Amino acid sequence: MENFKVVRQDGVDLTTLKIIGFLDAHTAPMLEEAIQKLIDDQKVNILVDFKELNYISSAGLGVFMGFIEEVRSRNGDIKMCSMSPKIYRVFDLLGFPTIYQIFDKQDEAAAMFLKDSAAASDE
Amino acid sequence: MKRFGNISLILPLVLFLCGVVIDLNLLGGLFDNAPLRYLREGLITLALILSLPIIYSQRWASDRNIVRGLRSLFALILGTFLLLLFSDLEPFAAESISTGHNVLYGSMVTYLILTAWTLFSTLFVLVILGTLRNLIFIKQKKNTALHFLLLMLVLVFYAILSVFTIGDLTVRFSYKLSGENIGYILLFLVINLMVLNSFRVGWLNFLNRRQKLTLFWGGLVLVPVEWLLYMKYHTSNPAALFSPVLGRFVDLGFLFLSIYITMAFIALISRLPTATLLDRQYKQLSSLHSLSRAISSEFDLTRLAETTVDLALQVTESDSSWLTLISAKGEDRLAAARNLSPDELATGVPQPIAAWGLAQLQPKLINQVGKSTLNVPLSVWKRDVQSVIAVPLKSAEEAVGCLYVAKHIEYGFEQDDLDMLRAFSEQVVIAIRNARLVESSLVRERLEEELRIAHNAQMKLLPKKMPQLPGLEIEAVCITANEVGGDYYDFFPIDANRLGLVIGDVSGKGASAAFIMAELKGIMEALAPKNDSPKSLLLAANETLYRNIDRNIFVSLIYGIIDARDRLFRFCRAGQCPILLATCEAAEVQVLRPSGMGLGLDGGSAFAGAIEEIQRPIRPGDTYLFYTDGAEEARNPRGEEFTEIRLVALFQRHHQKGPHEIIDRLVAEINAFAGSARSHDDLTFLVVKAV
Repeated sequence: MENFKVVRQDGVDLTTLKIIGFLDAHTAPMLEEAIQKLIDDQKVNILVDFKELNYISSAGLGVFMGFIEEVRSRNGDIKMCSMSPKIYRVFDLLGFPTIYQIFDKQDEAAAMFLKDSAAASDE
Repeated sequence: MKRFGNISLILPLVLFLCGVVIDLNLLGGLFDNAPLRYLREGLITLALILSLPIIYSQRWASDRNIVRGLRSLFALILGTFLLLLFSDLEPFAAESISTGHNVLYGSMVTYLILTAWTLFSTLFVLVILGTLRNLIFIKQKKNTALHFLLLMLVLVFYAILSVFTIGDLTVRFSYKLSGENIGYILLFLVINLMVLNSFRVGWLNFLNRRQKLTLFWGGLVLVPVEWLLYMKYHTSNPAALFSPVLGRFVDLGFLFLSIYITMAFIALISRLPTATLLDRQYKQLSSLHSLSRAISSEFDLTRLAETTVDLALQVTESDSSWLTLISAKGEDRLAAARNLSPDELATGVPQPIAAWGLAQLQPKLINQVGKSTLNVPLSVWKRDVQSVIAVPLKSAEEAVGCLYVAKHIEYGFEQDDLDMLRAFSEQVVIAIRNARLVESSLVRERLEEELRIAHNAQMKLLPKKMPQLPGLEIEAVCITANEVGGDYYDFFPIDANRLGLVIGDVSGKGASAAFIMAELKGIMEALAPKNDSPKSLLLAANETLYRNIDRNIFVSLIYGIIDARDRLFRFCRAGQCPILLATCEAAEVQVLRPSGMGLGLDGGSAFAGAIEEIQRPIRPGDTYLFYTDGAEEARNPRGEEFTEIRLVALFQRHHQKGPHEIIDRLVAEINAFAGSARSHDDLTFLVVKAV
């Protein structure tokens, strides 16, 4: 079984999940658990950092699809950043960039969260 | 009912009757014919000897049904005693004294009564000796047979010696060794042998406490009765009047019986105090045996737990018992219980009690709950418990569960119970381990069966043969990995000239992927004839799929329509891998990547906006290669992926060949690349070549 780890970093406006290693059908439940915990903790601004992710399967992609609706319905979002070209290609082929905001760098993503919340409070 | 086995009594009886005949003749007139009397005695003695085998084939108490044998013995002795009590044999004794050793029978009636008594008492003694032999031989030791044989030999010999008291025959070997002295020596010897054989009372161990008590009360009556019987018979001895040999034989028989039952009675009394303990130990052993038997073939965890609490309750005579099991996730739950109220069951075992039970993985006993730390939690949960034992079930230093028994009274348990339950628990742990192994192997089997079914279903969804279109060669293959993948390709004839084709894969693996693939095929079959444009088909397909599948499942595919008459090919890429195109005009293979999105990811507008339809004329030599990500992601033992780059290069090399050969080459190369590494994704290729 391949290795996978999720590291949670709580920030002021958002929570970052660093995902490390192999994300496939075996390890996807770990990610599910982590995101569910964030939702339970009312942390709905979620940034997923892909810097150290080596592989993602359709099961891994499905985890995000499974939570995005609920997160967005609570005025939060799942944004992604720091993908390697190989990983980004997987997302890109499937058209994920249309659904998710994917950034090169963490701080860009963080800025976007701030912008979103500002927009929300304006409404 | 008396049973004499297979021994024929006919011969002895015949001899006996001869003796009687002689008697009658003697009665007739020949009183003092000594030789005739010796003959008579000889015949009777012979009859006795020939009857001795009865002893060795008596069935009372021989079939290990000791109680039944003893009951028969008791009845016989008591009956004989009463009979003797109420029949009047004194006159005969008086007569014999007055006439010395020569018996005068007086009358026919007297003679008949004496004969009857003799026969009866001889048979009585034979039966008794047989029964005693059976009792003695229970738990036979090395010398048992020898000692009994010696006793029988000496007894019979001594009885036969009394022949010499007929008439005034007295044997004198010398002054010291007179006939009388020999008699005393033999008597001494025979009594010693009787006592020696009377130590063999091992059958007492087979009685349980209740039976021992019954025997005790019975013995209190029987032992005195037997001695009285013996003494009465000894003084009046009707058999002796009839025949000295028989007389002494019967007398000795009665004596042996008296000695034996007295010794047995003493031995019984000495065993009574420990009867309860022995009973318990026996019950514990047989419970352990029952448990072993019950659980060694029980692979259902629930039934196993129930059997365990049942037997634990029985063997410790507890008021209630319960068993907790720790699941794979580490949760401690109540698996089975006896005599727990619905409330107690609903609450489950409180944490403090469970913690105490499992502490140090050692069995524990508390006989005064009220004075212990368990008082509060236990009184809240189960008020009536005053004594409790907990035995953790452990396997390789890890807790698998815990077994508890409880009683309403203080000091309800002993160290014995603890040891007993510890032995129990070791058996139970083994059985639990077995049950879990069987369960997981069953689960594995079910999973494998599920995968087999899914695989077969998947294979059935794929087209059986390649479509034929003028000016086009089409070839496809799907090589499944060990696990059921979600790859799919299909062809949909729209009309005589047009063909829809699809290649795609469902996210996920296993049976669920196969189901969605089947659903997809249905949708495609329905939509293909109705849609001229691949994009419009995909929009409709996405809408249906998005509604019907889980949010975390999606499908990536390529759908195209070939128009063989107009030589046009239109296609869309809904999230699937890029399409490789080799043409005669271009030297290099093109990688076509129209914009697109997987099906089932978005409900409407985003998907519509993302899908780009491409239309290209079909020129001779055009070779399209469609593939799924299994080709890109094929890994070698070092973990390297095949990647699109290698695939493109490979296609570049072989695109001029026929579709079948192109595919063969691709598959061969990828297999060579992967080497010994196991494939974990389906490998699917579809090649369309215009000739």
